[in-house]
Amino acid sequence: MLEIKNLHVSLEEEDKQIINGLDLTINAGEVNAIMGPNGSGKSTLSYVLAGRPGYVVTEGSITYKGQDLLEMAIDERAAAGVFLAFQYPIEIPGVATMQFLKVALNSQRKARGEDEMTTPDFMRLVRDKAAKLNVTTDMLKRPVNVGFSGGEKKRAEILQMAVLEPSLCVLDETDSGLDIDALRLVAEGVNALRSPERAMLVITHYQRLLDYIVPDKVHVMSDGKIVKSGGKELALELEKDGYAAYAA
Amino acid sequence: MTVTLMKTPAETAYTDAFNPQGALADVRKSAFAQFAETGLPHRRMEDWKWTDLRQLISRALPPVSGTTASADAIDALIAGSPFGDVARARLVFVDGAYDEPRSSLPATGDVEFTSLGSDVLPGWISDKLVAGSTDPIAALNLAYMSDGAGLRFRAGSGMDAPIELLFVTTAETNATYTTRNVIVLEEGASATLIETHIGGSGEYLHNSVTQLHVGDNARLDRVKVQEEGLEAIHLSNSDIHLAGKAYLKDFTLTIGGHATRQQGFVTFEGEHTESYVSGAFLLTGKQHNDTRLVIDHAVPNCKSRELFKCVMDQAARGIFQGKAIVRRDAQKTDGNQSSHALLLSDESEFDAKPELEIYADDVVCGHGATSGDLDDNQLFYLRARGISETEAKSMLIGAFAAEAFDDVASDAIRTVLSGLAEGWLARRKAA
Repeated sequence: MLEIKNLHVSLEEEDKQIINGLDLTINAGEVNAIMGPNGSGKSTLSYVLAGRPGYVVTEGSITYKGQDLLEMAIDERAAAGVFLAFQYPIEIPGVATMQFLKVALNSQRKARGEDEMTTPDFMRLVRDKAAKLNVTTDMLKRPVNVGFSGGEKKRAEILQMAVLEPSLCVLDETDSGLDIDALRLVAEGVNALRSPERAMLVITHYQRLLDYIVPDKVHVMSDGKIVKSGGKELALELEKDGYAAYAA
Repeated sequence: MTVTLMKTPAETAYTDAFNPQGALADVRKSAFAQFAETGLPHRRMEDWKWTDLRQLISRALPPVSGTTASADAIDALIAGSPFGDVARARLVFVDGAYDEPRSSLPATGDVEFTSLGSDVLPGWISDKLVAGSTDPIAALNLAYMSDGAGLRFRAGSGMDAPIELLFVTTAETNATYTTRNVIVLEEGASATLIETHIGGSGEYLHNSVTQLHVGDNARLDRVKVQEEGLEAIHLSNSDIHLAGKAYLKDFTLTIGGHATRQQGFVTFEGEHTESYVSGAFLLTGKQHNDTRLVIDHAVPNCKSRELFKCVMDQAARGIFQGKAIVRRDAQKTDGNQSSHALLLSDESEFDAKPELEIYADDVVCGHGATSGDLDDNQLFYLRARGISETEAKSMLIGAFAAEAFDDVASDAIRTVLSGLAEGWLARRKAA
């Protein structure tokens, strides 16, 4: 589903290379985890996949479902099924969560040439998914992420993912700021979305999240590239030995 | 006749046309004398430094009243009022004159209406038409005002169904139209008032004054929508007097006009009174809106809030001048004002001039002003969920402006305001 080859990324504003020749292949149905120390380029990778401005790909390629992902606009990527669950979800005052979700879903459907979803169908869909994630009606009425606690923001991200049903879910430090109950709830939401047609890329600093979202493959990232790959047991090794062996 | 050195063609036209008749002749004469002391305000006057009327009004726009437009043209403009389904009563003024056949009076006896163009005015109106304003444009208005609404809400009455004052300028003639409203809420009365200004394409000037007297324990919700023609100059003054335990919510949306100067003067005359004045500008092209508010805390224990959200696209320019005065006796005053600007292009401009004049020592007062463009992080977040760049920008601009009218009490009116903002955004997207 996703093939990253020899990716080099630097910041637009300063002459600083963040990703240095990264290779990664993710197949449909798989959960891949990327672990690594702070500053290894994990979040940059997630932003480059989503198309965030400010990053320049100087070399290499990203192919998503056979298409050149780097040629696609931010919203085209989303409509094609790329979803980034943000480490720090953005607050948008004045835009109600429900309205935002509806515009997002229907924009994607329109871009894919599908009919827009009617309001009653949409309401039913969201209520059903929200209940499972313990997202209250009150939260849905409030402006996007405004006044949400850390846990509420992460649950809202997973709700968006559940409603939009992407093919490639990139979860950037979804565990940060969550207590154990919230973590369990979020992991259940993510696990419910696991399917043979969907791939997930779980980015995390700690092994803890991977107790709940058990990965098929684990990759260690350091200094902007993948330095080791293995099965889920690799995460346990890292938890025990730390990242010192991979320090740049 | 006062003889003052007048320089511009517009000033000459105002002088040449001046020939007051009738019961108000003396009042008009002293008002005109006041205007003549300064003539049209210009940039060397501190409060007018951003809006030089001597330059803006570059040609003679002689004062007239009464229309020459066809019935169809008038009806088409009236149909443009967004409040057709919301207003329960409507007083229509076309080219500065009351249009009785097109108006519908409030059904209840709780409110009394007199057209200010009437030959004989009742005392509760004429008492309030006195010269003495220090503002030259308000003085010019009194000298020339041809018509407008006099409304008196009787003590204890509850007229929550909105009454619309609809000012239509056909722009068939390049002229100055001058209207004035006198609104009185007696003790304990409540009212919802909509003031709509609509105009055709063509150069004209509308000088509009609204005097509001809100009595003890009375509540006024007022919404003004300004959609004058895009070559129009809109000059307005709201002169608001609030008695004890009165409550005011005042919101203005400016979309139209080539150049707008709107002034609001709020005076607290009784204690435990609250005033909320808010507004939004949605400007594009070379539109200019200079809004000036003066909030006068003359008595203790009152609360005032001002919030303006200003959106400027292309080469538009917005100005917000907010002044709060807290007099020596006005202890326990709680005052706060803020203006926020969203600049959508490199050529757009916003100037804010907040002023506090505080003579009392036990008060809480603050002000804040911000300006910037759309937030890149918010834009990225919306687009990362599949929303197109154009749509995402519209959502963010709409949300920015809406904060100012979130406060409008009536759901129906708020819906109309959202619709107007959406219309503006749709035109922007199509452009």
